[in-house]
Amino acid sequence: MVRFKLELARWARGTMLARPQVHGLVGVRDVDEQIMDEALTRFDGGLRLFHMHAEGMGTIVILTTMVAATWAPTAGWRRALVALLTVGGAGYPLGYLVWAALIPYRGVEDGKRLAEWLVWIPFGGTTIIAMWLLVAVLVMQMARRS
Amino acid sequence: MKLLVALLLLTLAHPAFAHHVGAYTPRDNEVSANFKHLKFSIEARKFDVALRLYDEGALRKELRSRAAQLPAGLDGSIRAALQRGAAAEAERGLMVFVVSLARDLALEADRQISDAGAPADVRAAAGRKFLEAIWRYYNLVDFAVTQRNARAATTVRLAFDEAEGYVKAATPAPERLREPLRRIAHALTGVIETSSQSARRDSS
Repeated sequence: MVRFKLELARWARGTMLARPQVHGLVGVRDVDEQIMDEALTRFDGGLRLFHMHAEGMGTIVILTTMVAATWAPTAGWRRALVALLTVGGAGYPLGYLVWAALIPYRGVEDGKRLAEWLVWIPFGGTTIIAMWLLVAVLVMQMARRS
Repeated sequence: MKLLVALLLLTLAHPAFAHHVGAYTPRDNEVSANFKHLKFSIEARKFDVALRLYDEGALRKELRSRAAQLPAGLDGSIRAALQRGAAAEAERGLMVFVVSLARDLALEADRQISDAGAPADVRAAAGRKFLEAIWRYYNLVDFAVTQRNARAATTVRLAFDEAEGYVKAATPAPERLREPLRRIAHALTGVIETSSQSARRDSS
């Protein structure tokens, strides 16, 4: 990412300049430079957040699948929980990459809306459901023993 | 043990409800950054530093490129004031330049928003961006304008608030934006004219 930072920024800038209407560019430097600066900052931020979440969610996937593999009541539950946690955790960070890639083409807000519906909500939702299921499984097991 | 794990999972799940996308803080452009450096060095009475910043900075370059729309001799008067160590006069010259940048933006915004062919939401979005740009410049000199022409400063602030209301409303009304933009342009033109006249009086 650092190595190609300049090339990526140039590409994003060029793509945005080719779509002035998408980004609301008005042809006045004092206005446009701020719009471009915000979009490029968000583009860079999207790539950084992708990197950060990919690392963080990796740890969460390992931890939660370990818990699921240890305490899931049946093999079916274990497979389902591990699959949901892995797919959700691995897919969620890609939303930031999708958002960053969409910014030059669709703008900051529209890109975010698309990334939300395409990646963050489905994969983030999967992770949340899997975690709640895992909690429910643990609570049920505790209740059964007591 | 299971209770602890269950609690840990709950705390892990909670942040997943909201994905954060970071925050953006608008940055200074070359002209506003140069203006701030100049202002601080003038306030510290480091006129040699201020003169160097003025001679080599983006502000003077921009001032020269817009010389036709500015009061005659503005560049020379700012430079002479910095050489003499006349802080008030240098500040007035810089204020006139920044006010003229804000005024030109208000005029251009009025021109673009009057284009009835563009959809209302596009005009409202453009209006919002123009207002942000106008405020970025005007905010630099608001105090100096208030000191010299409190009525104009109040007019600009009130017109700005009104204009913001039109573009930030649930149903934006870009056609109503033109009136406050004209008031801003008119008040700022007044500031430029009176400041230039008083500068001429002081020098004669």
